[in-house]
Amino acid sequence: MSALLEIDNLVKAFHGVPVLRGVGFEIRAGTVTGLVGGNGAGKSTLMNLLGGNLRPDSGAMRLEGRVYEPENSAAAARAGISFVHQELNLFPNLTLAENLFLTDFPIRGFFIRRSVLARQAAALLAKVGLPHTPDTPLEHLTPGERQLVEIARALHGNPKLIILDEPTTSLSPPECERLFRLVRSLQAEGCAFIFISHALGDVLQLCGRILVLRDGAVADQGPAGDFTIARLVTSMAGREIKQLFPGRTELPVADADTKPLLEVRGVRQPGVVDNIRFTLRRGEILGLSGLMGAGRTELARLLFGLAPHRSGEILLDGKTLTGGPRARIRAGLALLTESRGEDGICAGASVNDNIMLATLPAHAWGPLGLLSNARLKPVVRKVSESVHLHTRREGAEPLRRLSGGNQQKAVLARWLLAEPKVLILDEPTRGIDAAAKFEIYQLILALAAAGTGVLLISSEQEELLALSDRILVMSRGRLTGEFVRPDFSPESLLRAALAHHHSHPETHP
Amino acid sequence: MKRTALILLDHAVILLFAGVLLTFGFLAPGFLSWASLGNLLIQSSPTAVLAAGMTFVLMVAGVDLSVGAVMALAAAVAGKMMLGGFSMPLALAAMLFMGPACGLVNGLLVTRLHIAAFIATLGTLWLGRGGALWITETRAMNLPDSFLHLGSSRLLGIPLPGIICAAVLAAGNVLLEQTPFGRQLRATGHSAVAAAKAGINVRRLVTAAYVICGFCAALAGILVLGQLGAVSPKFGLNKEFAAIAAAVLGGTSLFGGRGAVFPGSLLGAALIQAVENGLVAINANPYLYPVVTSAVIFVAVLLDTLRQRLRAAATRRIFPETEAKAFSASAAA
Amino acid sequence: MIQRLASSEFFVLGLCALLLAGLGPFTPGLLSAQNLVNVLAAMLPLLLVAAGQTVVLIGGGIDLSVTAIIALASVAGAKIMTLSGGWMAAHPAAVPVAVGAMLLAGFLTGLANGIAIAWLRMSAFIVTLTSLMAVSGLTVWFTDSKNIADLPPGFFSLGQRLPPALGMAAGALALTHLMLTRSIYGRWIHAVGHNAATARVSGVPVPLITALSYTISGLSAGAAAILLTGRLETGSPVLGQTMMLDIIGAAVIGGTSLFGGRGNVLWTVSGVLFLTLLDNALNLRGLSHFVIMMIKGVVILLAAGLDVVRRRGQEE
Repeated sequence: MSALLEIDNLVKAFHGVPVLRGVGFEIRAGTVTGLVGGNGAGKSTLMNLLGGNLRPDSGAMRLEGRVYEPENSAAAARAGISFVHQELNLFPNLTLAENLFLTDFPIRGFFIRRSVLARQAAALLAKVGLPHTPDTPLEHLTPGERQLVEIARALHGNPKLIILDEPTTSLSPPECERLFRLVRSLQAEGCAFIFISHALGDVLQLCGRILVLRDGAVADQGPAGDFTIARLVTSMAGREIKQLFPGRTELPVADADTKPLLEVRGVRQPGVVDNIRFTLRRGEILGLSGLMGAGRTELARLLFGLAPHRSGEILLDGKTLTGGPRARIRAGLALLTESRGEDGICAGASVNDNIMLATLPAHAWGPLGLLSNARLKPVVRKVSESVHLHTRREGAEPLRRLSGGNQQKAVLARWLLAEPKVLILDEPTRGIDAAAKFEIYQLILALAAAGTGVLLISSEQEELLALSDRILVMSRGRLTGEFVRPDFSPESLLRAALAHHHSHPETHP
Repeated sequence: MKRTALILLDHAVILLFAGVLLTFGFLAPGFLSWASLGNLLIQSSPTAVLAAGMTFVLMVAGVDLSVGAVMALAAAVAGKMMLGGFSMPLALAAMLFMGPACGLVNGLLVTRLHIAAFIATLGTLWLGRGGALWITETRAMNLPDSFLHLGSSRLLGIPLPGIICAAVLAAGNVLLEQTPFGRQLRATGHSAVAAAKAGINVRRLVTAAYVICGFCAALAGILVLGQLGAVSPKFGLNKEFAAIAAAVLGGTSLFGGRGAVFPGSLLGAALIQAVENGLVAINANPYLYPVVTSAVIFVAVLLDTLRQRLRAAATRRIFPETEAKAFSASAAA
Repeated sequence: MIQRLASSEFFVLGLCALLLAGLGPFTPGLLSAQNLVNVLAAMLPLLLVAAGQTVVLIGGGIDLSVTAIIALASVAGAKIMTLSGGWMAAHPAAVPVAVGAMLLAGFLTGLANGIAIAWLRMSAFIVTLTSLMAVSGLTVWFTDSKNIADLPPGFFSLGQRLPPALGMAAGALALTHLMLTRSIYGRWIHAVGHNAATARVSGVPVPLITALSYTISGLSAGAAAILLTGRLETGSPVLGQTMMLDIIGAAVIGGTSLFGGRGNVLWTVSGVLFLTLLDNALNLRGLSHFVIMMIKGVVILLAAGLDVVRRRGQEE
């Protein structure tokens, strides 16, 4: 039997940075292939190539022996490849049936044939094992059930290959079981699957073959029977740190007897984080590791007062933090947020205005809050120089004109001006070039050397390993590991990050 | 507890409506008579028709401020034609052509030139009003009695305006609920980006919503002509506010994606009319009508906002296993 | 080319010059000194209220209630000082108290709008729309839809003699401009209009700033009411009713964005100048009311189109 899908030596680079460096493999009909790899291994780029969202720089794809070059996602669907993405593209204000058939209603004249729609939708829903009637509004479903709806939508049109991207992150254990049974029954009918997941136990349980991607190349592959979790983890992580990092030379002030700078005591918000407790000392860089969706960003926002928590306490310098960001900035906390465009910058405002934004109260004069441009200018210029910010019009241009790296430096400059005691950095180097990254690392080290406590959230493991004094690991809203330099290893971090994934969560208190 | 709050908020307008009817029924005997209630429905028919059209535009998170002006412009053209010797069917046909044409202009301004719906339709409001005044030469134009006959005629014992209103609401409802167009419109209102991703032609859909709104404005113009028999400079003045208010009262969200033509628009229009009729029945100062009406609208929108916030809070979690706990927890908070 | 022209700060002033040069020769009286003084006087109330609207637009909101606030303030002030049965008729302090009451009426209505929008998080459009209906309804009810005449002559001078009116408008404008460009509140309003989420993360008291912008708008409507009432010599419950398009139009033509973050009251001055000149020229040419309405409708559509062009130019 020949392969359903053949991938041959795919290469793809973004702005000169190679993301896929010659990936090749085969998928046979009626098989389930597990695709694993760390953050940034190239999985999503590979999927975008398959789905027609991107085009490869070189290499070829063949579907059932014919050249497969999809123009867009619709073409991919027509060819018989359908996707279930991690973020759902569903409409909560429509019914299940309407979501399933939104662009493809069965009609007579102008009207939807309700009975036909209901019958077809019911069949699809039955296939994925959802007990709801087709006219249930989507908003009545739990996130896990919505995931099944998305899968049902992928089944419509009888695809030959279904790609499931992290389908189990929002599923409860019984829902997972149901999904696996569904995959097996469709497999028996001849449908092939690519199963992308961080839940390694699930991967081993469900898949026939396994493919490990690392740094844009196939690092390991073979029948699932030959794999153990240990081998998977080694294959995913196993690489020396070769990228350049500034050395972590100055270690935190060793005043173990003094009180911690930041203390988090049993913070809990149902459905988000559970029983988080840790401390951060002066001059310490504390890494926070975990897979995407582990609740790290949510924890950071909660610490900064952007999201509520139900129980537990957060203390800065021995004082309980309350109120919103304004109060916490005053208390000495700062947060560089994960998504720069969404809540990190005012893209249309000038670079200088962005830099000044958080420290305006300190420079405002009198009850009218007057600002003196003459006095502000040197302050901004000084901090801009200290972060090596490159602007063309002395910072008068809108921030959106700058490169990603310079935008991030501007945000960092904003928080440097506030002189925080504790700085939380959520993915500070996401989407920026190598040179700017290095400069940001240096800034982080300099800050710690000056006594600032840094909580560093990053999905780039090497970054965490190189910079942190201590690393905490989160999984599904809980802390699942703590490692102190020099006892870091990529394997142990990954194992902790996967903790709640292959032992089902309800077994935990 | 939070679930109960959501259910109550979802039915806030019916509760509000019942409250208004009972209050005025108590204060003014006879207010709850069948004749009076039937009259209420007929009187609210133009606003209900306008609100039905407005529902389509609000559904895609737009707004149409020009409906009152379109009513006036179409009525002025029809009036001029009638006085110029054209037959009534021809004049009516002209009105029904003008409405969608104006809607098309609005739709193109919004979807092709990317002008904010608010400002685009504010501009066409002035164009339309100016045009109507130009045609009528800023005088009240009395039309032949045939319009008044039309307004008071009955079909099978039911007043014609009621039949037209019912037909529009039924058609609008079928269009929104029973056709792919309607369902896609709703999806677009929830998220135009997601809708485009799913393969929906968002531009064409949004333009069509404005065309439908324009058509309903023209029909509402016919209904009002049937009631008044004349085109005055104030014809349709501020009707856009009544239409938006009625649609919003009927459960249509200003943020798009939520709402219904029936019973929403009728309910909203009838509620506004009931407040007005009730105030008449208790001999309240007529100048107070807009004050009470706007207070009712404010309360309804406040409730809608609370409903949205509760919904958003209910989905703010990332892991499923603590969901049941999360619900009770955030309700207690 | 078009983008660069449209983005220039002097574009609208250029339009005004073009208007004068184009229509001047064919419109007798347009360029006479007396007429230009008239234009200046007619500009002032619009200028005040449009400046307030500019503040709200920069903050990413919209205030539809200002015309009703003008009427409310006019009636409240008139009721206090009218010589026929006013609450403080002929009292020496009547005029200052009335002026204070007019400003207070604007302040309070604006504050109420701001509270509903900032803390109840209701849509600005609906809140200011319902307050437009409610406030104008209350005003009409309060006066039985009748004008309040017999105002003390001391008050007229405020609106009719150019120097005091000019001084008041210029003062308010300078204050608003300083607030927007030289104070922390101005920076905060801009930040909220650009990106409220970023502003919140950066410690900006977003609800407070939102409420502040609506309060300023209300206050500016109250100030405009003083000038308009003075010009008219009566307190009128329908005062300002037809000004809405001019108010938003002036801000938008000046270059203030409807999408928040970008704007300047000095730009609004040129927007007001343009609309007032247009109105004046069309009136002098004997065009009727409705033709002027239609032309203004077209002008606002052109201005909004221009705004879109400008934004695209910025994004590139």
